[in-house]
Amino acid sequence: MKIFFLICWRNLWRHKRRSLIVISSVAVGVFAIILAMGLINGIMVQMVDNTINTSLGHLSIQRKGFQGSVRLQYAFAPGEDIARALKASGVSIKGYAPRVKVKGMVRSSESSRGVLIVGIDPVKERSVSYLYTYTSKEEGSSFLDDPAANDILISKSMADRMELVPGDKLVLMVQNAKGEMSGTGMTVRGVFSTPVDAFDRYTVFTGIDRLRELTGTPGLVSEINAVLTDRNAAVGAKKKIGALISSPGIEVLTWQEMAPSLVSSIMIVDTMMYVSFFIIFITIIFSIANTLVMAIMERFHEIGVMKSIGTGPRWIFLMVLFESMNLGLLGLGAGIILGTTVTGILGATGIDLSVYSETMRTMGSGSVIYPAVRGFDIFMATVIVLFTTVSAAVFPARKAARIEPVEALTYI
Amino acid sequence: MSIIRIEKLVKNYENNGLLVPAVRGVDLSIERGEFSAIAGPSGSGKTTLLNLIGGLDRPSEGKVFVGESDLTALTPKELSDLRLRKIGFVFQAYNLIPVLTAMENVEYVLLLQGVDKNERANRSAAMLREVGLEKEMDRLPREMSGGQQQRVAVARAIVSEPDIVLADEPTANLDQKTGESLIDLMHRLNHEKKITFLFSTHDPMVMHRAERLVHIIDGHIDSDERKGSGRAPAKKKAPGKGKKGATKSSQGKARR
Repeated sequence: MKIFFLICWRNLWRHKRRSLIVISSVAVGVFAIILAMGLINGIMVQMVDNTINTSLGHLSIQRKGFQGSVRLQYAFAPGEDIARALKASGVSIKGYAPRVKVKGMVRSSESSRGVLIVGIDPVKERSVSYLYTYTSKEEGSSFLDDPAANDILISKSMADRMELVPGDKLVLMVQNAKGEMSGTGMTVRGVFSTPVDAFDRYTVFTGIDRLRELTGTPGLVSEINAVLTDRNAAVGAKKKIGALISSPGIEVLTWQEMAPSLVSSIMIVDTMMYVSFFIIFITIIFSIANTLVMAIMERFHEIGVMKSIGTGPRWIFLMVLFESMNLGLLGLGAGIILGTTVTGILGATGIDLSVYSETMRTMGSGSVIYPAVRGFDIFMATVIVLFTTVSAAVFPARKAARIEPVEALTYI
Repeated sequence: MSIIRIEKLVKNYENNGLLVPAVRGVDLSIERGEFSAIAGPSGSGKTTLLNLIGGLDRPSEGKVFVGESDLTALTPKELSDLRLRKIGFVFQAYNLIPVLTAMENVEYVLLLQGVDKNERANRSAAMLREVGLEKEMDRLPREMSGGQQQRVAVARAIVSEPDIVLADEPTANLDQKTGESLIDLMHRLNHEKKITFLFSTHDPMVMHRAERLVHIIDGHIDSDERKGSGRAPAKKKAPGKGKKGATKSSQGKARR
């Protein structure tokens, strides 16, 4: 077989420039796939991480139905079994914290708005979210420290709109467990700014004990959020922890289940990108096919000789196919090296898109993007290139396999 | 025993709706070990006849047998296999695979036959030594002279030990001295290895050296003469042109 592959390989270099043009076109295509998918991947990873770090965590233990309807009726008293399950499951957990969530309203002298009020344990919360990091420590702003205090954290964008600064008062209105509305004045303890605009527009934080008091739910939680050392382990962790919880009506949800629209949007973007790349590579099919047809016409006589001395049509077909695959694989190799190098460098330095910071915040990705190479993208690039080169070779290879020796021998 | 047997062979080509006969009812038989030539002027049908014998072309009528195989009854795949295993080809323009070295060109046929790697290498090297190219084994065709390339072509043709080697005007692109040397080589192989050779030629030197000379004119066999041993001619002696000693064999008789 060595000779057969030698023929395929050496045939490539009979017209170096022509082969290099095709190889370059494949390489540029692969480079574009890796870089573009790296960028998209970087944005998506940051969107997911930001969503996890601001609100979701990796796992949430909650009463069934809470995910679809954030209401106090789903609050529950966490049993010992939950704490035991988190410790005994063998899952590598970075931390977990209780939260009470209820919808309500905040009012200042200037405006009012509907919000999601989240009651947190200021100490434990640091292990499950970046809220402490996102909270400003300047101009009188600070993080919550007492879970029973009459303090509230609001986002910087909300503070600006409501013309509030740390130390100002606002009125928090909430419906308690009995269905009665109650309002209380609270002090703006601090302002935070996360990379997720939608989160900042809608979410405020207060101490968990104070919110329990306001809602009349002493000792209850809406959910317990847990963060793992590896977010990709969430599905396995859910099964292990879920199996150890005996409290009725309690379920464990992964971040994918809590943010299905985020997951599906990632899949849609990925699919759209790959469809685009397939379409781009269809043009490369014609480029390769054209090159191969030219090569075959130039070697018409030679292929006739090969058939005369007993080379079967199948071998001729395979020869053209391998020549095409060689072109594709060389381009693929060059594209992967170029793509991973450039994406790797950009992944280390980051791409500063702060000029579009508002748009990036709306997307929830942050204004500095760190492109990331995914093994799956390289796999898909390989699949696309193999599909392209094999498709491109079919017509020329069949043409070559059908060459009549006697016709080719008289062809000059 | 006949290696090649041709019965009432006809080949017509169509040209702008006109039927152009190239071979007109030829009967011929080639015996094992012969060193024969089909001679005739350009356009007489000798290359067409050789192509039909080699299974490169299909006859319009008649039959071609290589051994017991009726070529007209074979599928393209079977024809390809037969060419691979039973027939060696030497072409006028050498027709080596340009991207392969001399050694690889010879090995290629054995590769197609599925011969083991070591045996391939040994047999190919031995064959190149046989044709006097032991120092040129690693050269590409473009790095060799015409005579050397044709020797590689001969080595390629005989390395698989075919029943017959068909050589289409093998000396046409060579100078007189190189041509003679090539014919010497093939004649030696014919004698030493009992390889059957059938040439098509209009080279007087080849005609003179052939032990059997079949003249073909306008697609008919005009004469079929059997001669001596095919030794090299004496210097300055004109190659045989006449038909002295010719015998019109019953099988080589032209059909009109």
